[in-house]
Amino acid sequence: MALNPFILLLLSLVAGFVGAMGGMGGGIVLIPALTLFGMDIKHAIALSLVSVIATSSGSASAYVRDRLTNLKLGMFLEMFTMLGALSGAWLTLSIRPGLLFFMLGAVLLGSAALLWARRREEWMPLSSQDGFSRWLELEGSYPDRATGQIIAYKATRACLGGPLMFLAGMVAGLLGIGAGAVKVLIHDLVMGLPPKVSTTTSNLIIGVTALAGTSVYLANGLIEPGPAVPVILGVVLGAFAGTRVLVRLPNRAVRRFFLALLLVLGAEVLLRGFRGT
Amino acid sequence: MESEIGIRKPAPGSMETLVGTILSTGVAASFLLLSTGFVWHWVAAGNPSFDSPAPRSSIALFILGEVRTDFHKGLDPIRLINLGIIVLLLTPYVRVLLSMAYFLFVLRNLKYATMTAFVCAVLTYSLFLR
Repeated sequence: MALNPFILLLLSLVAGFVGAMGGMGGGIVLIPALTLFGMDIKHAIALSLVSVIATSSGSASAYVRDRLTNLKLGMFLEMFTMLGALSGAWLTLSIRPGLLFFMLGAVLLGSAALLWARRREEWMPLSSQDGFSRWLELEGSYPDRATGQIIAYKATRACLGGPLMFLAGMVAGLLGIGAGAVKVLIHDLVMGLPPKVSTTTSNLIIGVTALAGTSVYLANGLIEPGPAVPVILGVVLGAFAGTRVLVRLPNRAVRRFFLALLLVLGAEVLLRGFRGT
Repeated sequence: MESEIGIRKPAPGSMETLVGTILSTGVAASFLLLSTGFVWHWVAAGNPSFDSPAPRSSIALFILGEVRTDFHKGLDPIRLINLGIIVLLLTPYVRVLLSMAYFLFVLRNLKYATMTAFVCAVLTYSLFLR
């Protein structure tokens, strides 16, 4: 079903705006919205993944210059996410749409649960580092504008974090989302990274991960330039506006709004998965 | 260069500056090409929607086909849009390619040059997927 370019632009603007406010990218809102307006879920996933390249590259460029991103960590982990994305995208082509709705719903609700569970957690620096992570030079420091201090950190358990990132890449390629929540979970819980470093490094990785997945969708004729243009333009503009509004809003209000949105979208998508539509 | 909290910004020739510049330039160029093509098509056709067939080829063949057509027939709105998509798709690839060269020739870090070479090899393979 061909959607009107204005509707696509508007939906993508809202998805980019809301996604950026929640710090999760536009795909997580865009895919449910596009499918709600009648687009086939596999086309929606493919379009979302292309727009993810634009939004993640745009925000990663600023984070890298602000020295929040750990480039070495990103380049080590993208070896795994990229292979995961290729496998995930191939899997999408062969499974039925109902199952994709079901999996997307599970990821949305899982992200909401994660947001809720980690609402008051404080990051504590690690005092030790394992030999493999030290060999990989996975440490660094970043300027924290909130406290005006330089925060030094060390990553650990890279031998576990790397293979787990294959799964994060697989979710990204399979569902056309950045899968930032999954990546951040691995960075935080397994590798002991501070939240700002994990979020910004995840942003850098997403571009390469999404490109790997996109190659599979393009080869299978799922990326039409007609709908791709308003989607990319809308998501980029929406994300640009969303990040500027985000800094003016209180953290708690943003978190509550995004939590509610994830719950509603997750439940709605899950229901469609159960119905098999 | 000092920021407001007294923290040194990356030096002009640093890897952070290189990666940041590649990413921002790629996204800005792609956005400019896509929006120009979109508006040009809208003005020319009187309608923003268009039916351009979805490419069913590898990214490499898509790029080659577009570049060859642009060279022979000149630009039109749809080709400008396809060019915008190509620039967007190549942005992360160029970032990995130049990072590999930076690790190898500037930092002389063989460990990370090998890792980025692996990423580059798999991405090159994905560009030729059909």
